[in-house]
Amino acid sequence: MAIESALIKKITAELYEKSLKKIPEDTHAFLSQAINKESNLTAKNTLKIMVQSADLAKRTDQLICSDVGIPTYIFKIGSKVQFNGPIKQAIQDGFKELTEKINPPILKMVTNPLTHERSYEGKDIPIVSYDVIDDADYVEIICSPKAMGTGRWEAIEAFVYPTHEMIEKFVIDVVMKAGSQPCLPIVVGVGVGGTFDYAAKLAKESMLRPHGLSSSNPILADMEVRLLKAINQMDFGPMGTGGDTSAMSVNIDFAYSHGFVPVAVCINCWINRRTSAKIYNNGRVENLDW
Amino acid sequence: MSSIHHINLNTTSSDIKDLRIGDLVTISGSIHVTIGIPVHKHLIECIKENDSSVCEEMKGGCFFHLSTFVEETSLDLKPLYINPSTSTRYNEWMPEIIDGLNLKMVGGKGGLDQRSVDQLAKNGCVYLSFLGGGSPILSKGLKRIINSRWNNYISQFRLLTLEVEHFGPATVAIDSTGNSIYGNLILNAENKLDSIMNELNFQRNQFIDKFN
Repeated sequence: MAIESALIKKITAELYEKSLKKIPEDTHAFLSQAINKESNLTAKNTLKIMVQSADLAKRTDQLICSDVGIPTYIFKIGSKVQFNGPIKQAIQDGFKELTEKINPPILKMVTNPLTHERSYEGKDIPIVSYDVIDDADYVEIICSPKAMGTGRWEAIEAFVYPTHEMIEKFVIDVVMKAGSQPCLPIVVGVGVGGTFDYAAKLAKESMLRPHGLSSSNPILADMEVRLLKAINQMDFGPMGTGGDTSAMSVNIDFAYSHGFVPVAVCINCWINRRTSAKIYNNGRVENLDW
Repeated sequence: MSSIHHINLNTTSSDIKDLRIGDLVTISGSIHVTIGIPVHKHLIECIKENDSSVCEEMKGGCFFHLSTFVEETSLDLKPLYINPSTSTRYNEWMPEIIDGLNLKMVGGKGGLDQRSVDQLAKNGCVYLSFLGGGSPILSKGLKRIINSRWNNYISQFRLLTLEVEHFGPATVAIDSTGNSIYGNLILNAENKLDSIMNELNFQRNQFIDKFN
């Protein structure tokens, strides 16, 4: 048994479309609960409109936001998985076909960085990263499109033997610089260590962690709690117009590194686009909503 | 939900001047929208050249950073959906556009810089914060496309004149007296930063003591 490339094409396209029209359940629950906890009246109103918007999009099969971002996928491939057919091509074909068929149609967001020309396709689009899961007979696919509202504020810096204070200060500086600009409340993912590229990967994958799940590392779990509290004390609030609810969570992961320690900060907006599915060798598809 | 002011854009601008930060509004009438940087540059040229075909229609009007999908058929143009974009990307051009077109409402999301806030106060203009990710709600207020200019650009970059009805809700985030939610929040956050960092240090030290 092998996973057909046609199935990869279908599922990757479906995951992207779903991420544009439905916010994750845990995010919906957070926003709904935040309405009651929020002390600022403008913020309360904004949170209510957010939940209404998400509900209406789901009910009427509409896009929540017109900035559909660029498609990005994480492929975690089981070591027992077999593929039949070209996989990279299937992902590209799935996105291309989706741009031709999706209803409502989506705006051109894929941008040539050298000419600023916009399209539905381009070099290395969709952006895909690959990882391996030992002994698994499935591929786990995570789709998390990235749009400008948050993408432009993400940052990475290489430190040398940083103290915890230096790491936390960097996270605070990134959030402070973004201020009211991203569509808050945000989810903040932080990657500490590894290498330049690996810290960014850690930050992105941390950001996608289910709401309420802390780091298994006690030092990072504590750092997550105090950074979340600190960010919410900044009072930027929903949509950056003030309030107690600036961030939903701060999620941190780490990897061993050299004396130089890259720290990456990744941000998702309140829509918190992320969808996922597992495809098994026998063709079974398991949707992973969280 | 607190009460929502409805603004009919065909009435006098006194209603708009009376709006204060935090007010929720919906609007009806004609609005101009784009999220294209080239279009902002183009607008400046039109203002400098006093291009009446553009300036007369936009003068005293509303200009928003809203991204619109335009469906083109052989018969007409139809706005399918709409959503805000980050206004600070256009800081460089907004004071001249606000002044040159004597705008009474601008908006998008995330606010504008102090130069623009000062210009808004001079012109009695307000800034509206629309909900990013509010496309399903905002799109209900779309009626039709009155005009579409510079159609060589992609849909969201064109300068569109739209008819809207009960469009919103949006939050007044900068009012005509120069009071800016964003300016106040940045100042507040900057003022609190030392105490936030001190508290982080205190909590961290407490944790380390316990951990060790």
